[in-house]
This record gives sequence, C-alpha cells and structure tokens, in this order.
Amino acid sequence: MSQVEKSKRRILGVMLALIFALALVMGAGPGIYLVNPDPADPTARFSIFGGVPVIFAWVALWCMVQAAVAAVAYFYLWDDN
Amino acid sequence: MDFSILAQNSGPDLGKMPYIMFGAYLVLLMGIGGYGYIKSKMSEEDYYLAGRRQSFIVTVLTIMAAYFSSAGMLGFPGTAYKEGVAFFLMTLNLPVAGCAIYLLGSRIGRIGRVKGYVTPADMISDYYDNSSILRILVAFIGFLYGVPYLIIQIRAGGHIAEQIFSSTPTVMILGGQYSVFTVGTTILTLVMMLYVLVGGMRSVALADVVQGSLLLCGTLVAGGVTIYAFGGVGKYCEAVSKLPPKALSLPGITDRFSPWTMLTICLFASTASIIQPAQWMRLYAAKSARALKQSAVTFCAILPVCFLLGIMLVGLGARAMYPPTDTVDAVTGAVTSVTPHPVIGNFDQALVALLKNKGVEVLGTAGPFVVMLILMAILAAAMSTADASLHALSAVLTRDIYDRYIRPQAGEKERAWVGRIVIVIAALLALWLVQVGQNNQNFKPLQMITEMMFVAIAFSCQILPVTIDMLFIRKGTRAGAVCGMIAGLAVVFCFTPLPSLLLGRGLGSDIAGGAAYFKKLFDIGFCGFVVNLPVFVLVSLFTKKPNPDRVAEFKKIGKG
Repeated sequence: MSQVEKSKRRILGVMLALIFALALVMGAGPGIYLVNPDPADPTARFSIFGGVPVIFAWVALWCMVQAAVAAVAYFYLWDDN
Repeated sequence: MDFSILAQNSGPDLGKMPYIMFGAYLVLLMGIGGYGYIKSKMSEEDYYLAGRRQSFIVTVLTIMAAYFSSAGMLGFPGTAYKEGVAFFLMTLNLPVAGCAIYLLGSRIGRIGRVKGYVTPADMISDYYDNSSILRILVAFIGFLYGVPYLIIQIRAGGHIAEQIFSSTPTVMILGGQYSVFTVGTTILTLVMMLYVLVGGMRSVALADVVQGSLLLCGTLVAGGVTIYAFGGVGKYCEAVSKLPPKALSLPGITDRFSPWTMLTICLFASTASIIQPAQWMRLYAAKSARALKQSAVTFCAILPVCFLLGIMLVGLGARAMYPPTDTVDAVTGAVTSVTPHPVIGNFDQALVALLKNKGVEVLGTAGPFVVMLILMAILAAAMSTADASLHALSAVLTRDIYDRYIRPQAGEKERAWVGRIVIVIAALLALWLVQVGQNNQNFKPLQMITEMMFVAIAFSCQILPVTIDMLFIRKGTRAGAVCGMIAGLAVVFCFTPLPSLLLGRGLGSDIAGGAAYFKKLFDIGFCGFVVNLPVFVLVSLFTKKPNPDRVAEFKKIGKG
C-alpha cells in the first residue's frame, strides 16, 4: 500500500471514529437533551409525525448513523487479513 | 430478574402446539449434538474452538445468540414497560459491540490462532510474562461472569416451560408428581449438557445457529404481533402518544436512566460483553478476520432492528395496553413506585403476557403457532446463553486451573475429558441451585445471584484496560495489570451485597449507599474501569516492562 493510500485511510479512520463518537454522545449521551421533552412543560412535544415518540426517532436516527459508519468502515477501512 | 410470577398468567390454551414444537426443538438440539460429535476430533482445540474454522454465518449467529440472553427477551421489554422510551437508548450499545467484534476480535483471533490460545487468560497471562496471578484473576472474572448467567438462564428456561405448558400444572413421572418448572429445567439442562458434552464448540455453535435464527425472527414477529394487536402502526403510535409524559422522555418514569448512565452502559457494558470468556473464545474460533469483519457489520445492522422494532416496541405497547399504576409522591411529584397491571403481573412478564393475551386473540388460527414461536425464541435466547456460559466455564476451569495448578503434566486427551466432567458437574450444580431456590422459600441464593447478574458484565469490564493495552498500546506491565484489575474488581464488589454481608450494618451500609448513588449516575463497569485504568497506568510507569521480544511478536501478529 502506497504512502498516499495509507494517509487517506488514516484520515478516513479518524473521521469515522469521530462521527461514531458523535453519534454515541448525541444518541445515548447528553446530546439527547436537544430533543428531550420536559414533562413539566405543557407545550412540550412528545411525538413527531404520525405519533412516533421523539426519543424513538432520535435513537433510530443515531443508530442508523452508527450502522452507516460500520458499513463504510467495512468497505473502505477494515482489512480482511 | 424475578420470574416467580410468570406462571400466574396462564393465558389461552395453545392446544397440542406446545408439545409438537417443544419436542421438535429438543430433538433438533440433540440431533445437532450428535452431528457435532460425528464431526469432532478428539483434540482440545477442536472441542473448545471447533478447530478455529467457524464460517461467517456460524460466527455471527453464535455471537448474537450468546449476546442475546433471556434478560434481553424478558428483562428489556419489562424495563421499557416500566420506564418508557428512556430505555430505548440501550439500543445504541449494539453498534459499539458490533464494531468491537472487528476492532478487538480480529487481533484476538489472529494472535490466538498463531499462539494456540484457547481461553482469554491464555493470551493475557502469556503477554504479561506468563503471570500466574493474572491467569487466576482472569479465570476468576470468567467464573464470576459465567456462573450467574448459567443459573439465571436455566431458571428462565424453567419459567418459559411453565408458560409453554400452562395448561399442565404437574407431571407424573414414576409415581411421583413434579411441577412443570422442575421437569422443564431438568429436561432443558440435561439436553443442553448432552449436546455441549458430546460435541463441544461445534455443537454449541450449530445449536446457536438454530437458536440465533429463532430468536432474531422471534423478536421481529413479537414486534409485528404487537403492532397488529393495536390495529396497525397508526393506532399503535396513537396509543403510545397518550402515555404519561415521563414515559415519553428521559430519565424515565422513576428517573432511572440519565444520559450519562446510558452513555457509559453503551460504551463499557457493550465492549465488556464482547470480551467475556464465551465471546472471546468465539473470536478465537472464527476462521478468519474476514469472518469477523462480516460478523461485525451484520451485528451492527441486524440487532438494533430487532431491538428497536421488536422487543422495545412490545414493552412500550404493553404499557399502552395494560398501563401500570405509578405511585406519585404528593410533595416532590416524583414517582416512588410502579405497580404492573394485574394482567402483566410482573415487569419481566410484559412480553409474554401481551402476546399470550392479545396474540392468540388477534391472529386467529395462526395464533397458537405464532405465540409458540415467540415463546420458543425466548427459550432459545436462554439456552444459547446458557450453553455458551457452560462451555466457557469448562474451558476456563480446565485450561486455567486444572492444567496449570492441579495436573500440569496432563495430556490433551485427559484435559478434554476433565473439561467434560466440569460440564456435567457445573450443569448439575446449577440445576440443583435452581431447584433449591425454587422449592425452599427460606433459601434464596438466587436472589443474590440475580443481583450478581447485573454486575457480571462489570466484572468482565475489568479485563478491558489490559486487553486494549495488549492489542494496541503495549505500554503496560504485569504488576500494573494485576494492581489495576484488583482495584477495579474491588470497586465492582462494592456494588454487590458482599460489603453488607462482610462488614455489617456500619461500613457495609455506607458502601452500599455510595454504590447505589453511583449506580444511578454511571454504569457499574465504568465505575470499576475509572479506578482500574489509573492504577494500571501509574503502576506500569514504575515497574518492569514485559519481555520486548514478546511485545514485538504480539505487535507483528496483531497487525497482520
């Protein structure tokens, strides 16, 4: 593998690791406060389109991001050997 | 988990379906055991690691089946029923575990293959200058993880048998009358013991292929039946949107799940579950890094779907259909206790009660078959985790204790037979403990062991710093690893009933109070890890480094 290719893989690896960590912090960590409805607030929205709970949609979104990172890593980063 | 109330809700009669499906399931498992025996060779490597030739399909299904225990099929829907959507965050632990299968697993598998390792302690102790203390510590952690899991899964299997044969209260055998629980646990344990005994990892892995497929289908069918029971997706969402606000937000009904708790669980408990002995041995058993790579991405793609659209939907649906009673403190407004709906009976029964009461009703003639399929899936989840724990326990006690300290001169054949004897003793001992706990109201060892189940993963987490150091960093020392692991284990023991038992009400109660406080904030394994890691690093700075040749060898093999 050439030096350029190694460097590209390293950058991709760092980017994927950062996106994965972001998805974890946003989905399961403090990022959830961005969408978490306050039970004491009478105007808070607990569901989005079609009555799907906001938290459910949020978790599903970040789960898809994590799975997408794994898929990209599978095709472009992880070695067979 | 408390399964004791499971049998109270018998639900509708499922006809002859239980006998046909349960019988077919047992015959299939025995057939797999026989096939594993025919294909096996009388070597230790073959018995414990199926000759290190497991394909991608077998690897991924056996990893998923061992990961998905009865806690996943019964406990998780129950927790979603109790706490609401806050528990859905648990799903995000799955892609972390999936990535760990490749990132840790490919190096573990490669080094294990070249060096001929069988247990986690083989690799860890060899890297750190063949340390006996480390070997014993890692074997001890394997024991602490494996024993509670084995007992709880057998017990869960007995209670699922009660559900499957709910119309048959007792069974007559040779003039004696026995409960379905007793007969069920005995048959399941004997069948599991036999197929693990005769075929080793080959039988366990093939049985897990069947059980893994069954439980993955079962979770999705359970989610589908729940939606159908409500009359479609729209009506399900409409019913769920009417749940109390606290059930639709964090930190949940009883304020149990803060984002920090969930974040540390997702990061540490998931990784710890992938390096527990049974999974570690599956990483050795995979035939190549490619098989692990494919397993990792499949795990990341499939299990979150089974969680989000399967068991979690059931838990939330059960809350909408059979709402529990939330007792609210008049002064603080906080929920002090949650009492399940009488139809549910017990939180862990949420999935079973919903499906048995609504599934048969809405699915018509297909109802008994579908409900039985889901009950069999729960049984498969319990059996697949139990067989993995039993098999790993045998390897740990034989390789790490018998071979090293009791009879170091034992040959490979002798060790394989000792491993089989360990399987018989461990299975029968676990069965005996389950029966004693069930029949004697004053003897409650299982209550303590159930609590231990929640800290079992935390014990496994204490191998994480040395695993990462050994595979990637290579700066730690034997003394650092030993001190870090002991410090981490000591912290995790504070979360068990042990301090109260040993130190009494004074100091013991203080420790228990502190542990309860931290348990609400973080994952238990993480609490041990944050003590383990600095001790490991500090001691490693001032102690003798491992043999540089071995470090270089590990680096070379690990990188491939």
